[in-house]
Amino acid sequence: MNPRLRVGIIGSGNIGTDLMIKILRSPLLESTIFIGRNISSPGMAKAQSLGVPTSGESIAYIQKYPDCCDLVFDATSAKDHEYHAKILEKLGKIVIDLTPANIGPMCVPAVNLSESLGAKNVNMVTCGGQASIPIAYVIGKSQKNVDYIEVVSSIASRSAGPATRINLDEYIHTTERGVQKFSGAKRTKTILNLNPAIPCIDMQTTILCKVDQPDLESLKPMLADMVKKIQSYVPGYEVIVGPIIENGRIVVMVRVKGLGDYLPAYAGNLDIINCAAVAMAEEYAKTWDTYSQRMDNT
Amino acid sequence: MKYVLVSDPSLRDGNHAIQHQLSEEQIAAYCRAADAAGVPIVEVGHGNGLGASSLQLGESKTPDDRALRVARENLKTTKLGIHVIPGFATIEKDLKHAIDIGVDVIRVAAHVTEADLTQRHIDFARSKNKTVFGVLMMSHMASPELLAEQAKKMESYGAEGFIFMDSAGHYLPSDVTERVVALKRELSIAIGFHAHNNLGMAIANSVAAVEAGASMLDGCARGFGAGAGNAQLEVLVAVLHRMGYETGIDLYKILDAADLAEKELMSVVPTIKSTSVVSGLAGVFSGFMKPVDRIAKQFNLDARDIFFELGRRKIIAGQEDIIIEVATELAKRTQTAPVQARSV
Amino acid sequence: MNVRAVDLIREDCLSGLEGRSEQLSPLRGDTVVITGGTGFTGTWLAEMIAALNDQYSFGTKLILISRSTDHFKSTRPHLANRADITLVKSDVRYMVELPKETNWVIHAAANPDNRFHSTNPIEAMAIISDGTFAVLKAVDRCGDFKMFLNLSSGLIYGSQPLEVERISEHYAGAPSCGSVSSVYAEAKRFAETLCAAARSQARIPLVTARPFAFIGPYQSMDTPWAINNFIRDALNGSAIRVHGDGQTVRSYMYPSDMAYWYLRILTGGSSGLTYNVGNPEGITLQNLALMIAGHFTPSPEIRLHTAAGAAKTRFVPEVAMAVNELGLAQKVSMPQAIERTIRWNKA
Repeated sequence: MNPRLRVGIIGSGNIGTDLMIKILRSPLLESTIFIGRNISSPGMAKAQSLGVPTSGESIAYIQKYPDCCDLVFDATSAKDHEYHAKILEKLGKIVIDLTPANIGPMCVPAVNLSESLGAKNVNMVTCGGQASIPIAYVIGKSQKNVDYIEVVSSIASRSAGPATRINLDEYIHTTERGVQKFSGAKRTKTILNLNPAIPCIDMQTTILCKVDQPDLESLKPMLADMVKKIQSYVPGYEVIVGPIIENGRIVVMVRVKGLGDYLPAYAGNLDIINCAAVAMAEEYAKTWDTYSQRMDNT
Repeated sequence: MKYVLVSDPSLRDGNHAIQHQLSEEQIAAYCRAADAAGVPIVEVGHGNGLGASSLQLGESKTPDDRALRVARENLKTTKLGIHVIPGFATIEKDLKHAIDIGVDVIRVAAHVTEADLTQRHIDFARSKNKTVFGVLMMSHMASPELLAEQAKKMESYGAEGFIFMDSAGHYLPSDVTERVVALKRELSIAIGFHAHNNLGMAIANSVAAVEAGASMLDGCARGFGAGAGNAQLEVLVAVLHRMGYETGIDLYKILDAADLAEKELMSVVPTIKSTSVVSGLAGVFSGFMKPVDRIAKQFNLDARDIFFELGRRKIIAGQEDIIIEVATELAKRTQTAPVQARSV
Repeated sequence: MNVRAVDLIREDCLSGLEGRSEQLSPLRGDTVVITGGTGFTGTWLAEMIAALNDQYSFGTKLILISRSTDHFKSTRPHLANRADITLVKSDVRYMVELPKETNWVIHAAANPDNRFHSTNPIEAMAIISDGTFAVLKAVDRCGDFKMFLNLSSGLIYGSQPLEVERISEHYAGAPSCGSVSSVYAEAKRFAETLCAAARSQARIPLVTARPFAFIGPYQSMDTPWAINNFIRDALNGSAIRVHGDGQTVRSYMYPSDMAYWYLRILTGGSSGLTYNVGNPEGITLQNLALMIAGHFTPSPEIRLHTAAGAAKTRFVPEVAMAVNELGLAQKVSMPQAIERTIRWNKA
């Protein structure tokens, strides 16, 4: 068996720490460095308690020790990632971008995992995108003339921090772009609701679609296959309603329960994007030998 | 004499009552009538505001762009207002364009606990030199102190006035008084109130608000609005005048505008239906009435049960999709109940 | 602690719960975490929850977080060895995670001993500020979290003017700034604001209690507070020494009431609200000394003016918020509190 792919995480907040725990479970990945800015943050303490090497030097650590990892997850902010991306590109690192920076192509593992392998910087779209794009994709494949797809997500207010709130517009635009790209729909729309209910609600996403002649029979088997594929890397993903035709439109509603690794279980919105990122990294790991040779040759 | 700034969202909230089917002609006709009556602000758009036309919330017959242009052309002295909820409308896609068309007043709204979603939209509207008000919806879901705390955030983002909405029509006058008092303690900007009439309290609650120190009120012609309707504009104006408040609105002409609205805008005048009473009691958004009725029929359920269940789950505006889920579950429960009864 | 002492406390808890246990039913089957869990407050809360589990089958799991769990194991084995109580040895400031199943948190970690505040003021402040910060961060990641009760302090109002009979939650006084004698009160003020920030930004449901003064079992009689010293002096057969003219006014609540009130505020309080907790009936130190002396034969001598020029002060809460909003009442009167405290200390 190949040695595990050596991955680093930059960003020691809740997302980065949750990601680290997921990576520790992966048979294909090895978490070789956990990097943040504040060595005494809770995430750092968690990493140390799990025996993962840590650094508080931010990106400078990778510059200083470029051999510390082969692939980098960036769980900082869009602004920081723009700076990191240039450095990591020079260092020849594969980058999985969990920020809304939108530098590399969009990756939704259930839809375009193997195509994404060619890219050196892939972005994980948005939580709503990870939940809805696979459904939109099979709608696009099974229906003729998809006029319009709408994605409505509700997430627990507690799972949306200040950065999510201030970047709400970017979330909407990116998700709409992603849904359009993968479904081929003529028009798309994204809506996000924050629900303050206590106890916190799980993430729910409804995909509504307008087509000339809804064809549920073609959609059903493709949807079932797709959901299985998603569940292989997002165990808490399930269809709770549909596909049904309501008021002349196709409706599918999914719920995403988080794994509750470091983030709370209701934060399915944060969990799904981390699960997707790990699935992407594992795909790189599986093909690393050929991939690194290809890199050496270029 | 004390002045109350009256805002008329008939052409926005009223859209809830008719599945967002207001036409360009209707918008034009009512704008002319309201303008003639001297209504200070007319709010136009989809029931849930700018950019909200969707399958989830209902598609507008008249797109935002057309509705705002038509309104703009037909308003001379009356200001053109829009309701903007971040999460539905983005600055790039929607707000910039609305400002280009020439809206005057931008009311940026959020659920009562989520004021911090409005920072960028308020900021942007301010940077374009527009009048910006902050709006918190479903305000009954927060205590007066928490409402004031959230409103204060909007003031800090640059809102020049703050309006709290009784979206579910749940308040009694004392609830309104308590909230205005708490808001006055916290804010240095003008305070407004938007009433719904589920429990027949819309005018009484509006009166309570101004008596406690609010200086802005919303009213719709014939109460044209979601569910049981809003504070009835022409009644509100009459009552305010009788109380000695000035509104700048001509009574005869606003009565004419209301008559026109009844004739031209609505198929039925809003009344307090049984479900409205239930939704008001349950504290559920009035805009849920139509979809709840429709889905109740589809699943062969009592709409009242759905409303109380939605209230129990604290479902908020924009979560219409949950109605189907609740209905599915209730339907399951009623199916399995006899079986369980036998086995016990 | 002998069996008699343990029984006395159980008696207190059961009578404290009688007729009002069901108001705490949201705790059934849930997990409660108490920081500073082995101190006076934590121990009483543990006693109360143990009673709820034994008498009313609440099935509540309790986790006590403290630096002093070893001491607790040796001194309170009847609690430490219970299956429904888990001890976690940790400094709250460096705590990264709470158990995922945590539903309720009572944040009680702080050292109220003013001798400690004088000698170690930086540490006294850091335990409160950094500790509160760490706990709030950890709570942010608990999935099924229901309420955070921040135990603040009645001292955050600064000194009570003599003409103000009772301090209400709206009283706008404050401790003097930049003074070492304010470290505890000022840190508690900071913690309250930090909690409000976490409630607002991270949407953590949170209520605040501002405790005043208590007297009862588990309190160290060595702490240099008036009532403790009076009782200690009397137990030792010495004269009761009162600083000043005896007209200083204090009020004391019995800890079974305190523990019940905290649990009720935790489960019934509205997020964002603050409740004073204490006895609204003041008593002069002279009358207090007389009341204590009455329990001993021969009655100890009461000496006034043992410290010349001691200023007259007052420290009595208004508790209308707790009474009106949550229907709370005190079950144990002042004379009963004294009597039971003395009995326990003798046991």
